[in-house]
Amino acid sequence: MITREVLMKSKAGLHARPASQVVAMAKKYESKITIINGEKEVDAKSIIKILTIGAKEGTQLVVTADGADEVAALEEIATFIADLDE
Amino acid sequence: MKKIQVANRASKGIAMGQAFIVEPQKWTISKEKIAESAISVEQEKFAAVVEEAVAELGVLAEESEIFAAHKEIAEDDTLKETVAMKIAEDGKNAQWALEEAVNEIVEMFEAMEDEYFRERAADIKDVGKRMMAKLLGVKVDPFSGIKEEVIVVAQDLSPSETATMDFSLVKGFVTELGGTTSHVAIMARSMGIPAFVGVMDFRKEVTNDTYLILDALDKEIVCDPTPFEKSEYVKKSEEYAAHKLLLEKIKDLPAATTDKHVVELYANAGSVADVKQAAAAGAEGIGLFRSEFLYMENVKFPTEDEQYEAYKASVEAIGHPMIIRTLDIGGDKGLPYYMFPEEENPFLGWRAIRISLELHDVFCTQLRAILRASAYGKIKIMYPMVTSLREIREANALLAECKDQLRAEGVAFDEDIECGIMIETPAAVMCAEDFAKEVNFFSIGTNDLTQYMLAVDRGNQRISHLYHSFHPAVLRSIHHVILAGHKAGIEVGMCGEFAGEELAVPILLGMGLDEFSMSSSEITTVKAQIRSLSFEECQTLAAEVCALSTTKDVMEYLDSHM
Repeated sequence: MITREVLMKSKAGLHARPASQVVAMAKKYESKITIINGEKEVDAKSIIKILTIGAKEGTQLVVTADGADEVAALEEIATFIADLDE
Repeated sequence: MKKIQVANRASKGIAMGQAFIVEPQKWTISKEKIAESAISVEQEKFAAVVEEAVAELGVLAEESEIFAAHKEIAEDDTLKETVAMKIAEDGKNAQWALEEAVNEIVEMFEAMEDEYFRERAADIKDVGKRMMAKLLGVKVDPFSGIKEEVIVVAQDLSPSETATMDFSLVKGFVTELGGTTSHVAIMARSMGIPAFVGVMDFRKEVTNDTYLILDALDKEIVCDPTPFEKSEYVKKSEEYAAHKLLLEKIKDLPAATTDKHVVELYANAGSVADVKQAAAAGAEGIGLFRSEFLYMENVKFPTEDEQYEAYKASVEAIGHPMIIRTLDIGGDKGLPYYMFPEEENPFLGWRAIRISLELHDVFCTQLRAILRASAYGKIKIMYPMVTSLREIREANALLAECKDQLRAEGVAFDEDIECGIMIETPAAVMCAEDFAKEVNFFSIGTNDLTQYMLAVDRGNQRISHLYHSFHPAVLRSIHHVILAGHKAGIEVGMCGEFAGEELAVPILLGMGLDEFSMSSSEITTVKAQIRSLSFEECQTLAAEVCALSTTKDVMEYLDSHM
């Protein structure tokens, strides 16, 4: 399993539109992908769960991936979240 | 007639029409337990409904991103698994299981702290409703009865419902629930439909016989107006439409007076995002890039590369000249990572250029970053709070050193980069003629200039009424600086709030100000104003105003002449 820390820079936070993009990305991979905000840890393949972690501007998130394609999965998703800016 | 004041406007404009009240649909959900043998039938029923909903939302998603999120919700394992479990383990039928599953998820969202995430409960409900209608075999079309132009009044409108509205007949809407960040509010704005959200108990005020006017300019709802009142609103609505059209039309036109005197309208910015907004608003340049935000929103002094990236991205985003003001801190602006000495009089203390000329490393890091970015667009450097020629010369000497370094390193920059100063101290006003010979431009900072010229601390409640940029001393200072600049053949701009003030614009124009820099949102309004003025008349006005001896006389004169 590999992990990476990302800072939510977007003013709007991880809102519905980027969350649905994260889900679409996560579903391409076999690996189990999770997003962690403090004590909340959720499956990145569920939009409902991603929205419930309530990631706002300035939230420090941890993304983990575990499985055969974990490297590519983590790279794509963590980079996407880190680059969100609106 | 009855007028209701409202607080939450979702979207601007004026709309009128007969009220059309959407009654909440009441569905009877069967609460019958199912036999074990029926479990697989109910599971399949639900799976088929999910599939249908996903297909429908897939089509809608092409039109609106909101439905892309709805599609993900419909496909979501959390929802599907919860429903499947309630069917298999609790022996509930598909409808009952769906209702409970949706309610549980909705409760989870409604308990969240942040308004944005709380409002996502509405999206979950909407998807649940879409599925439930399919399970029950009913059609959801609350607007089927609309035959004429109406204002829709509802307890709440889901994005799905909003998307099915026929906007040739629905002129606006009012909901009792929802906030300004709800998806229906966002949709109303993107479609330019006047709308109010969160108007508590509004359905008690109206019936389908009520005629409604939504004045979403002044945040008022008018019920049953007289024909005369209605005609007033028709007039107001036409004026607003004409005004909007005018602003749109002049966006790409120059700020020229009726007698063809052209000035430059620039924007003030503090970040790359601000610069992008300025470009969209039609700014012809950035008259003040407040570099201090790069320092204030950081945990340490920003590195040369960090600054270079920000300046480069900004000048590329505007594609026009950009004036970067070097670090302007001290006074009321501190840094979280640097201890400033305690001072009796911070505004008369160690601030702006005075700090830069002492902290050479910090200043040169910034100058190098600005120089490097100048290879990518027209950048100008501006020193803040200058009071003497010595400061200008010292700063320029450091700038020359930085240029030498970069040249030796083979790094590209604009060899002829222009350097100017802020005029915001009485010393700079009095010595403007001398300063003008050694700089490429002036920019008048009216906020500080007013404070220093009148010796008034703006933050001090007791004397804040004495702070007045229309004071003859301030007006004459501005006039003097413009004349001094022009005598030396350099441009004079202004980057204080005064440059965007309606009453000040004709005076400044008449004094011959070359460049007006203001917040992006004011640009089109000021441009419309300038395009309606005559330069010759403004020159007369400016000369007469400068001859008046009290602030009161100035204000009275402006009142009677504009």
